Amino acid sequence: MSMITMKNVYYQYPLEKEQVLKNINLSIEKGKVYGLVGHNDAGKTTLCNVIRGFIPSFYRGKLTGEIELDGKTIQEYSMGDLATRIGYSFQNPFTQISGVKETVFEEIAYGLENLGTAPEVIGEKVRELIAMFKLDALQEKNPFELSGGQKQRVALAAIIALDPEVIVIDEPTSQLDPQGTEEIFKIIDLMKKKGKTIILVEHKIDLIAAYVDEVIVMSQGEIKMIGKTSEVFTNKEVLTYGGQLPQVALLSLALQNAGITMPTIPITLVEAQQAIEKILSREV
Amino acid sequence: MTNAIQKLYPSTKMSIVLAVILFTLMMPGYISQYSVFPIFIIIAFISGVGTKFLSAFIKSIFVLVLFIFVFQCFLIPSDTVIWSKGILTLYKEGLEASLLMTSKIIAISSSLIWFFLVTPIKDMMFALEKAGFSKKFTFVIYSTIQLIPQMKKLSQTILEAQKSRGIETEGSLMIRLKAFLPMLGPLVLSSIQQTEEKVLALEARAFSATVRKSSYYQMSKKPVDYLVISVIFIGFMIFVWWRFFK
Repeated sequence: MSMITMKNVYYQYPLEKEQVLKNINLSIEKGKVYGLVGHNDAGKTTLCNVIRGFIPSFYRGKLTGEIELDGKTIQEYSMGDLATRIGYSFQNPFTQISGVKETVFEEIAYGLENLGTAPEVIGEKVRELIAMFKLDALQEKNPFELSGGQKQRVALAAIIALDPEVIVIDEPTSQLDPQGTEEIFKIIDLMKKKGKTIILVEHKIDLIAAYVDEVIVMSQGEIKMIGKTSEVFTNKEVLTYGGQLPQVALLSLALQNAGITMPTIPITLVEAQQAIEKILSREV
Repeated sequence: MTNAIQKLYPSTKMSIVLAVILFTLMMPGYISQYSVFPIFIIIAFISGVGTKFLSAFIKSIFVLVLFIFVFQCFLIPSDTVIWSKGILTLYKEGLEASLLMTSKIIAISSSLIWFFLVTPIKDMMFALEKAGFSKKFTFVIYSTIQLIPQMKKLSQTILEAQKSRGIETEGSLMIRLKAFLPMLGPLVLSSIQQTEEKVLALEARAFSATVRKSSYYQMSKKPVDYLVISVIFIGFMIFVWWRFFK
């Protein structure tokens, strides 16, 4: 079932001469995780802003085409409604702190307060999220005193608190260390298991390969490739659009060139391990 | 926050401030107004913020009051000269005007300093929202208060970045001024840029939702609040009767 559909979408920022998005046709299926990849300035964040409705309600400019969420055009939703339907976690953790709350606990609760949720429900939900995001030690700290990675986790928790059906996450791990990155991806996986539809903008291709169902490759404002992760990330065409392939896929392709053929091109470490084991058992 | 006075509901504490302001404005002369200051020193110590109160008063109001006092004394001319030396002449009317004005400033500012020291911002915002003020209004106040230390931190970062590029930031007043001016550009621009991102981040937290905002943080008026408000109201009515009808 299609959750978001975009037909012939074009967008041009005010005062810009060129279109930032061109001929976007996209269908986002309910319950799937999408990885949105591409080089810088490919239009990934702009596409996310269109999906979330920040374009054209906040950024003006020229937007044409049809964008539907759950069968209704995005313009039919109020900004308040959209906050509960599409969660958005931004790239910059420093500007995601509301600035009106004195503790991490209250920061996560802020969105729920804006929705008029009863205090006892807020307490229950926030405590659950604090445990999920492992923020117990930070819950009484001022959000401004947190590191970039900690702020990012708090911001994502605050968005998930609103229980949106779709979650757009723009480069959540750009400020995180490997352990923090792993934790964020575990949460993304958990959200997927809860049936959430997730659109994830991320440069860490190996993690994208391990967690997402489908990959959208963007370049110069256009969607160049879209398909299952295993299909897109085994196709060298990605490289022509300034994209990357997972390390294990690159290794496998290099081995193929050297005459060592793998049964399938792996995209994750687990698949690579299985493929190598097969080759080794064949040689024995 | 264990002190009983600090625990009072914000509007109760504000009613004390309002009573002081009205008393100050309605009462003739300056002796009663000046006497408000020592009373507030005592109240501040009972409230557990005595040292902070004195420090805030000296750092902010004292210098201002001294400045106003001196200017008023020497700048309002009249026939009665109290003291004169060189170009400086102290007139009787000038002195009286200074005493009247500074006594009011001291009384009102002491009550306000005390109020802000014993009322956490969180309590103030809760009370304002509960009183029906829009969340946009409380957001502007709250975020501005929180923004000041952030701006200070940002300016420090910019200053350090400039220092690392060889710009002199320490020394005479001129050197400091020269370093300060180029800092303003990045400070203002980055603040504007962050505002844009912050607006979107707030929208993502349902800031535009049309439902009435709730609050996880709760506080309510207790019997002691009603008692304090009643005492203040009765006391003020007696004062008005004594001042205007007796």
